Amino acid sequence: MPKTPKFAELDRRRFLKGVAIGGAAAGLVGAADAQTPPGAESAGSAPGKAPAPSAVQMAAETGHPKEEAPLTTAKTGSDFMVDCAKALGIDYMAAVPGSTFRALQESFVNYGKNTKPEWLTCLHEEASVGMAHGYAKVAGKPMAAMVHGTVGLQHASMAIYNAWCDRVPIVIFTGNAGPVEERRPGVEWAHTVQDGAALVRDITKWDDYPWSLQGFAEATVRAHVLATTAPMAPVLIVADGKLQEEPLHPAEEAKLHIPKVAMNIHPRGDDNAVRDAAKLLVAAENPVIIADRYARTEQGMGLLVQLAELLQAPVVDTNSRMNFPNQHPLNQSPRRGPLVAQADVILGLELIDFFGMTHSMRDQLERTTRQTSKPDAKLIHISTHDFLVHANYQDFQRYQPVDLPITGDAEATMPALIEAVRREIGDGRKSALQARGQKIAASSKEFVERARGEAVYGWDANPISSARLYMELWNQIKNEDWALVSSSSFSSNWPFRLWNMDKHYRHIGGSGGAGVGYQQVAAVGAALAHRDHGGRLVVSVTGDGEFNMSPGVLWTAAHHKIPLLTIIQNNRAYHQEWMHVQRMANRHNRGIDRAWIGTTIADPNVDYAKIAQGYGMLGIGPVSDPKDLASAIQKAIQVVKRGEPALIDCVMQPR
Amino acid sequence: MMRFSRFALLAGLALAASPAFAQQSGQASPAGDAKQGEKLYMTVGCQECHGRVAQGSVFSGPRLAPGPVPFQAFVHQLRQPQSEMPPYEPVVLSDKDAADIYAFLGTIPKPLDPKSIPLLNGG
Repeated sequence: MPKTPKFAELDRRRFLKGVAIGGAAAGLVGAADAQTPPGAESAGSAPGKAPAPSAVQMAAETGHPKEEAPLTTAKTGSDFMVDCAKALGIDYMAAVPGSTFRALQESFVNYGKNTKPEWLTCLHEEASVGMAHGYAKVAGKPMAAMVHGTVGLQHASMAIYNAWCDRVPIVIFTGNAGPVEERRPGVEWAHTVQDGAALVRDITKWDDYPWSLQGFAEATVRAHVLATTAPMAPVLIVADGKLQEEPLHPAEEAKLHIPKVAMNIHPRGDDNAVRDAAKLLVAAENPVIIADRYARTEQGMGLLVQLAELLQAPVVDTNSRMNFPNQHPLNQSPRRGPLVAQADVILGLELIDFFGMTHSMRDQLERTTRQTSKPDAKLIHISTHDFLVHANYQDFQRYQPVDLPITGDAEATMPALIEAVRREIGDGRKSALQARGQKIAASSKEFVERARGEAVYGWDANPISSARLYMELWNQIKNEDWALVSSSSFSSNWPFRLWNMDKHYRHIGGSGGAGVGYQQVAAVGAALAHRDHGGRLVVSVTGDGEFNMSPGVLWTAAHHKIPLLTIIQNNRAYHQEWMHVQRMANRHNRGIDRAWIGTTIADPNVDYAKIAQGYGMLGIGPVSDPKDLASAIQKAIQVVKRGEPALIDCVMQPR
Repeated sequence: MMRFSRFALLAGLALAASPAFAQQSGQASPAGDAKQGEKLYMTVGCQECHGRVAQGSVFSGPRLAPGPVPFQAFVHQLRQPQSEMPPYEPVVLSDKDAADIYAFLGTIPKPLDPKSIPLLNGG
């Protein structure tokens, strides 16, 4: 930056403000003139006489005197900020425009040529961050989001919380106005803060408000490294408005440098502790492995298969990530209860709620908790979650003491654990483990048969059953390279019971923080990543309550040609909340038929197909007869295969 | 905002739904008005967890029909629910109401054989 004396800088600013007022006044006069048809007289002026000067003209005449000063510049600090963002190798920047980063936006689209990152136009900051959340889980790297200072960050905060809970990296930028004497009166003050990151400090891994461009470069690279090193989480950088907009002269630019972006190695568990874990696991008669936010990659999933097969141990997948193939004989997720109850060793991999895995709670008037695991069961936990335990937010769940806590990223630790287990298994143990595996495999065959038997109930029901929807959908995607980018926990988990979930990218888990509004926006972000990874057929089943929080993301999908089939699981309610209120009504014994008030989304029914059409994409429905479903899905998939989004409004049974 | 919870996992009722349990009990159910029962089923909370055709869900409540548990077990579960099901005391749901709902559950037909549905057998 130029070494301009401070007073001179302020003088220039004042001058610019004066010019701006004069210019605006002149502009207004010009605009008024332009609206006047040729030959017409101005209202209130006598024919043949010059009109009296207006208040605006008077202001222009009597305002600040004109001074000679540059009005344009070839390069600004925001250009260098774009160089910093480009150094991160980020492909997209999702944003709703906001004046606190107006210089940055202009620099991205002109100086940065709108590539790497490409600007994604969003209609809500929750969508910007939520898209980045879904994207990162598929792409394996972060997307950036730019949010307007204060109000934009307030909009984004719930989406940041979801990503925080879900341990997903996002690089977030926000703007903030500069010194008090340079703030434009009015809105710019309302959108300015002393501490730009305070609002989300509890739910980000790191934040910074750099006061120089060199500081911005270092903060940006540091933020990226921190965000992408386990435990991963969102980070926030405040881009000061003055830094963005000040001219950047070549002499000053020459002094700046962007640090090399080196990726940290994820922290691994201690070797001795890993050996102890292997001993416990190999010696166990009834071990069980529970995987939660474990697999970051396809490789991670493969490693868990290796470990399970070596031990011939059952695996319970919580589906927070695609941790283990659902049809592998050792996938025993439906038997979690009995497996935990009989286990002598439980290995937890990145468990958010270990206590909840070994206890159950009864939600009656008196809440009671019961331990479901054996009191003498040995608990091993490999996780980095403790690194991110902050005050205030309670997403860390109830404290569960474990016998062998191994602080390290579970996926990064897995090769060492596999090796240790391999060394520990003697020849004498192998046959016992094989026998255990055969027993487990036999029981796994029952899962699919049982699920088929349950799917038939309500098969022809109107509204449509969740089983029918998922099997109609499966029938049309099973021969494609498909991905499901929505959680199915509110629709009886049918994909994990009846589909073949065989690859890591088939599923991305849920929101993390259960903040409603995640599903649709994360789906669009995930679909973008899938588009870039070879054009997989991407489907999302989104609850109507979820969808209504951020429907505008459909426009973003249509505008940026992001192919995605969205099916609205339209049960016309905030159904989980309906059940909660019903529970309270039953508990209080003063009426049990009014829990629908304030929880249902009917009368009038929302027409989601029309909403989709309004945002510029194919919208089909409402479909409530299961016989109409196949043709609707077929039609929508044709559109998605052309590279566009499509939506089906499917009126459904509650769960 | 919303936090997922297993809402009304009727472990006891699920157990009672087994054919063996039904044979042991073997009691006749009282007469009930199935039409009135359907109305109640849809408005007093049953359908919220168990589905509009009582098909159940692994996440909110087990299947109730066809072949509901014996009436006495049904009423016992309503009044003194095991696990997480909200209680239905007589002051809000009378024995007559329970009988009507039970009659409605009795009208729900048997489902198709899974083997007869192509979508459940590989397409």
